[in-house]
Order: sequence, then C-alpha cells, then structure tokens
Amino acid sequence: MPALKRLVAAAMLAALCASVPALAAQNPPPKVEEYVPISQLPPEDQLPAAPLLIAAYSFVMIVFFLYVVSLSRRLTNVQRDVDRLGATLKQTSKS
Amino acid sequence: MRLAWLILRKDLTVEVRSGEIAYTTLFFAVACVLIFAFALVREGKPPEDGAAGILWIAVMLAGNLALGRAFERERQAETLRALLLAPAPRPAVYLGKLLGIVVLLAAAEVLLVPLVALLFQARLLAHPIWLTAILAAGTTGFAAVGTLFAAMLVRARSRDVLLPVLLYPITVPVIIAGVRGTAALLQPELEVDIVRFWLALLIAFDAVFVTLSLWTFEAVMTD
Amino acid sequence: MPKWFFRAAIVCGVMFVASPFVIASADYESTMGLVQKIFYYHMPSAWMFLTSGIVCGVASVRFLMTGDPRHDRLAWAAAEMAVVFGVVTLVTGPLWARKSWGTFWIWDARTTSSLVQWMVAWAYLILRRYGGPGSEKLAAGLALFGTANTAFIYVSVNYWRTIHPPTSVVPKLPFTMGFPLWFCVASFALLFVLLLRMRVRLEEQRATLDSLYLSMDDAR
Repeated sequence: MPALKRLVAAAMLAALCASVPALAAQNPPPKVEEYVPISQLPPEDQLPAAPLLIAAYSFVMIVFFLYVVSLSRRLTNVQRDVDRLGATLKQTSKS
Repeated sequence: MRLAWLILRKDLTVEVRSGEIAYTTLFFAVACVLIFAFALVREGKPPEDGAAGILWIAVMLAGNLALGRAFERERQAETLRALLLAPAPRPAVYLGKLLGIVVLLAAAEVLLVPLVALLFQARLLAHPIWLTAILAAGTTGFAAVGTLFAAMLVRARSRDVLLPVLLYPITVPVIIAGVRGTAALLQPELEVDIVRFWLALLIAFDAVFVTLSLWTFEAVMTD
Repeated sequence: MPKWFFRAAIVCGVMFVASPFVIASADYESTMGLVQKIFYYHMPSAWMFLTSGIVCGVASVRFLMTGDPRHDRLAWAAAEMAVVFGVVTLVTGPLWARKSWGTFWIWDARTTSSLVQWMVAWAYLILRRYGGPGSEKLAAGLALFGTANTAFIYVSVNYWRTIHPPTSVVPKLPFTMGFPLWFCVASFALLFVLLLRMRVRLEEQRATLDSLYLSMDDAR
C-alpha cells in the first residue's frame, strides 16, 4: 500500500509541476454554437485568462492529490487494524 | 386503505387533544413570515414577487419541523414498531402518516395564505382554485418525500439535523415549481399555460415520488 | 489490490502528466481563447460526475432489492466519487465562466441541476457518516430518490435560459481539439475506475474488520 500511495502521489505531484510551466509558457491573446479553432490569438486577447486557467488546473490536481492521500491513509489504517486483529485471533485460537 | 384512514384518525385525534404539533407548527410558520417581513420589507414596501417565495419557504420550513416531531412522538411511544409488527400492509402505514402531515400543512397554509397576502400586498387569492391546486400538489410532493425520510430516520442518530439535509435537495423541484406557479398567479395577466405547466410538473412529481416512497418504505422497513 | 490496479495506476499517472502538453498543442478556440482550455478538464470530470451518480443510483436500487452488502459498498464509493468529481466540475466551470460569460455563476439549467445533484451526493455522505447503524438502507433510498429526481430537477430549473454550449459541440470538434478532449476523457475515466476500486476496497476492509471483531467476541 505505501508503495502505491507514493507512486500515485509522485505522479500527481509531477503532473502539477509539469503543467504549470507548460501552461505559463503559452503565448497570450454568449451562446456559442460550435468551437472554431484558430492557431494564433488576436493581439487583444490578454493575460487575465491565464490566472483562471492555472487556478483551474491547479485546483483539479490538488483535489485529486488530496483525495488520493486521504483514501490511502484510511486504507492503511484499516489494513493495519485488520492485520493486528487477525494476528491476535490466530494467537487466541492457537492457545 | 381502511387502515390508512384509521391511522390518520388516530393521529388527528391525538393531535386535537394535545394540539402540540399543530399549534407550534402554526406559530413557527407565522413567525417565519414575520422574519421575512422584517428582513425584506423596506420602508413599508415589500419586494416585488416576494410573496410566492416567502409563502413556500414558510411552508417548507414549518413542514420540516412538523415532520420531525410527528415521528418523534411515534418513536417515544414505540407506536411505529407496533404498527409495523401488526399484520397490516406497509403502504397503508405510510399513507396514513402522509395524510396526517398533509392535513397539518394544509391547516398551516389556510392560515399563511391570507397572512402573506396581507403583509406583502400580494393578490394571492385572486385565483383561488389554481392556488389550491398548486398548494395541494406541492404540499403532497413535499410531504411524500418528507414522510418517508422522517420514518426512516426514526431510529437513526442525529435524526433532527439529518432530515433537512436529506429533504431539501430532493424537494428542489417542488419549491421551484411551487414558487414559479404561485408567482404566475400573482401576475396582473394570468397566463394559464405557465400555471398549468408547473402544476403538471408537481403532479408528475407527486405520482413518481409517492410510488417510490411506497416501494422504498416497504424495502427499508423490513429488517 | 488486484494486479491490474498498479499497472493501470501507472498508465493513469503518465496520462495526467502528459495531458497539459497534449492540451497545449490544441488550437485555441476563436472566441474564448486561452481560457477555453479549461474545457479539457471540466468536461471529462463532468462526465465522470454523471457516471458516478448513475453507478450510485443503480447500486442503491440493487441493494434495496437484494440486501447484498457489495452493492451498498459500491454505492457508497460511487457517492464519494460523485462528490469529488462534482467539486472539480463545479469549480472549474465557474473559473471558465468568469472569463467567457463574464460572471462566476449563472443560474442555468445544467449548472444548477449539477449543483443540486452534487448536494444530494454530499447529503448521502453525511448520512453514512453520522446516521449511525441502519443508515445503509436509508442512504440507498436517498440515492434512489436523487437519481429519480434528475429529470424533474432539470426540467424545473430549465425555466431559466441556459447559455451552456450545447452538447452538440462535441461531435463537431475538429481533430486538433477532439484528440486532447478524448485523451482527457480517457485519463479521467481511468482515474475514476482506479479511485472507485480503491474506495470499494476500503469498505471491504472495514467489513472484514467488523467480522474480525465479531469473531473475537465469539472466541472469548
């Protein structure tokens, strides 16, 4: 369990660290019917979008990271109790 | 069906003799409306279209209180268990309790509607038949879900605080439809289609959730 | 934990690490610009939120019908998934909306319905945590009601004008935007399955613990 927890935690942390510079390095620029792609942003599109974008991605990573940590902590606790209790039972059944 | 009627009569008889739930619920409902009045009326002028919302909020808050205490009484006297042990069809027990709650809330509404109309200068009584229909349908939907949850919570911990936690998210369509339907009645020009739409939604809600409650009551109470 | 779990977890981690780069390579959307890229995380998490709700509802019904505790465990896990993915959806959405619609929150049909259903999921968790013994069936009833309510909530909230992009946007997406979207959907779906499995495992272990306690009492 600790191995898994470390692995997943490391992956999440790596994703977080990797995403921030990737997004920051981006060159900056009412009812939509479909998405129209363009390659270059017009010059009037500006920075205020970036904080929102970074906040959104960071939030996602942080929430999943915290949840995985919480879940693995709960799992390790219960697993520990199960092992301890199993050992005690085995001893009492032997004696 | 007869059993449901008997249960209803039992509750009403107890209630008429003691009046505990009825009087306190009514008082709470009136106090609720007064609080809204103090909060929202500015310089003697009530908010536009506020009356519909205030009426329904008062009904739902008072209903929540009444539900909690209607079943509290059952819990203390252990009558619920007795009822369930009796060779009676479960749906009848549920229906009897449901009718009791609906009657109680109807009594509250009879008091509240003129009060809200008066305090908030809203012409609630302009279309009494439509208003009665919307109130009846909405109250039944709210009570249907509430009776089921209150009955299921009787033996749970933290039951007082859990009832609103469970009840309010589920009854969101009731309050939306009830308020919008009532507000439509307050317009100077009555648009029957809008009222009919909300009423239809409430009736559909009632049909689905009374049925679901009957089934779930059966499934949950057998243990 | 089963063997596939660890391998899948590695794949999932790699996909999430790669996703910002995949997303960065997508073209900008012409009217919404940079902020539209939130879509690549917002939409898959919304879909997983919806999936969690359905799983919880179905599992709850089966639990009410059969009483098998496995369904109950799955329902509880799915409800927790719904809260987690719901939080992600309900926060990334307004962050995106702030730039593209001008305001954080708009009472349109889809956002409001999502918020209400998220609260039902949250109420489920509160009930399981504080309801005491016997709250399994009650919670199953709540989940059943919440699922049945979906249509009603949507229709009643739809009274307000909706300015959500219509779902028909997705099929019409050009490849440069379609690929990152489906990549993210796959990542989120994998994450959902992994987290769900982990959470169900927690319940299984709790049940094992309970039975061990009972055996200890018997052994005395």
